[in-house]
Amino acid sequence: MAQIKLQNIAHSYNANAKDKKYALKPFDMTWVDGGRYAILGPSGCGKSTMLNIMSGIVTPSEGHLLFDGVDVTEKTTSERNIAQVFQFPVIYGTMTVHDNLAFPLVCRGYDKSFIKAKVSEVAEALSLENFLSQSARKLTADQKQLISLGRGLVRDNVAAVLMDEPLTVIDPDLKFRLRRKLKEINQKYKSTLIYVTHDQNEAMTFAENIIVMDDGEIVQIGSPAELFDRPKTTFVGYFIGAPAMNFFGCKAVNSNTINFNGTEITTTTDLNGIKNKDLKLGIRSEYIRFSDVVGENTIHASIESVDDWGNHKLVTADFDGNIIKIKVKRETEVPTDRAFLMLPAHHCCVYDNEILV
Amino acid sequence: MHTFYVTLKYTAVTLWSMFVIAPFLWALSTSFKDFNSVTSGATYIPWVDFEPTLEGWRVLLRSPAQGGVNIVEPYLNSIFVTCFASLISIALGTLAAYALSRFTFKAGFIRNDDITFFFISQRIMPPVVLAIPFFIMLGKLGLLDTLFGLVMVYVVLLMPIAVWIMVDFFNKVPIEIDETALIDGCNPYQAFYKVVLPNSIPGMVVAGLFCMIFGWTDFFFAFILTFTEVQLLPVAIVSLNSSITPWWSLSAAALVSVAPLIVVAFIVERYLSKGNLSGALK
Repeated sequence: MAQIKLQNIAHSYNANAKDKKYALKPFDMTWVDGGRYAILGPSGCGKSTMLNIMSGIVTPSEGHLLFDGVDVTEKTTSERNIAQVFQFPVIYGTMTVHDNLAFPLVCRGYDKSFIKAKVSEVAEALSLENFLSQSARKLTADQKQLISLGRGLVRDNVAAVLMDEPLTVIDPDLKFRLRRKLKEINQKYKSTLIYVTHDQNEAMTFAENIIVMDDGEIVQIGSPAELFDRPKTTFVGYFIGAPAMNFFGCKAVNSNTINFNGTEITTTTDLNGIKNKDLKLGIRSEYIRFSDVVGENTIHASIESVDDWGNHKLVTADFDGNIIKIKVKRETEVPTDRAFLMLPAHHCCVYDNEILV
Repeated sequence: MHTFYVTLKYTAVTLWSMFVIAPFLWALSTSFKDFNSVTSGATYIPWVDFEPTLEGWRVLLRSPAQGGVNIVEPYLNSIFVTCFASLISIALGTLAAYALSRFTFKAGFIRNDDITFFFISQRIMPPVVLAIPFFIMLGKLGLLDTLFGLVMVYVVLLMPIAVWIMVDFFNKVPIEIDETALIDGCNPYQAFYKVVLPNSIPGMVVAGLFCMIFGWTDFFFAFILTFTEVQLLPVAIVSLNSSITPWWSLSAAALVSVAPLIVVAFIVERYLSKGNLSGALK
């Protein structure tokens, strides 16, 4: 267990070329010991590169990596004492399940009785105790992935357990149970868990802190609630939440008011010092409410369609060419023709050049 | 319709089996014939068409002084040379192939694929191109007409096959397994021999089979690089021939020389048919 610090880390797969292209742009980051993190982002955004840098599979072309203040940038993977689980199950096909789970401990020279106790503890936690003497090759894909996971968990002193979309091959029911299990393990062993995924639900339900990445950069770090309520960029707003955040072009009027298509909307954002007058207003579909009367922050829009999503309704409205999505409870009465929509001031986010003001 | 296809399938398989087995059966029956049964028209059934005799087989065990051609020594020589050369080729070839599959080599314009092709290119050349250089080199080293010299030459000839098969095999083994072994606490050497190597046995068996077939059946180099001291089986079989072709002892020798490959093929078959070639990692 350790605090992991990335100091000005950057990586390029063609570091010596003239047209150097960063897979990971320079950044600083500290992973708190015992934290539960998810790295979220679209394919090719640098998530796996970041993970591979921490485990030592990839040596960063710039910057330093510190474990509890000790520089480990040049250290080998085995010296770092880290566990990593890949997207597809990696098992040692010629060994039994028991030997697979014991392998990391055997390699590090632990004594037999300790290994035996530890392997049965992990096997029980992952419901593999009945397969221990079987050849690992004969198991199903999700059982194999459990073995991969188990090998990551047998060493309880690891600096961190890194997981690169580990539940892709696992069926949904087991996925849910495993995520809970991972949370339990995190609480029990206080080991840092870093979980890469492109599935926002997985990230939201698993992590205390989510790191959103795009195009080799960390866009935002925050709790699921922060990411949902105050996305730092329009990318995060689009990427997190279903449906994506509503975004509309608008202009600044005074220190906290914007003009959205002729209607003045008050926000809690301080707009003093914003030179650019062309801004964007972002608001979650969950926070827009129907209103019976014209009031502050209300717009008059026509209802285009209502989709029943089972537990809620998704209303599509048109406000002079701006399409607005509104998510309401299933029992909410939706006006059929035109309606007043209320945009609560504290939920209105203003973006200047795609970045939250 | 279904029965029609099944019938068709079995007919085809039966015809093909007969096609494959017929030469062996013919060689087997010929090996028990004598001069008269071979030269006076085709004979088929022993004790009816011809009187079987063991003379053809006896010739193989008799010393030249007794009017035979002893193939026991060439047989053992062939086994020694083939096995040794195959083992060395597999050992070196596997290491070379692992390096070519996992590490990036750059020397001028040369990359990994070029190095792999260089290995294979040794087999593209007509053997006669290599014969004279080999002859001169072995001569200078005093290794002409020795088993050790033959082993060295065969390693040169067999290793490209091993490298070729193993590079392809390792390329199909996901690199994550090496990385996992490193994360689990192995150093790169341990990752290779504790994790990657045990998973590569099917590939090594197949490469070994090919090496043994090519080594065992080579006549050209065995003929050119040996004279009187050392003889390999293919050369010994050819030397059986005389003005009157002894079909009976040639047939017996042919069967004897095929036997080891058939045994090896049966042992290896399970590796080929189980589909274990892909490494069984996923």
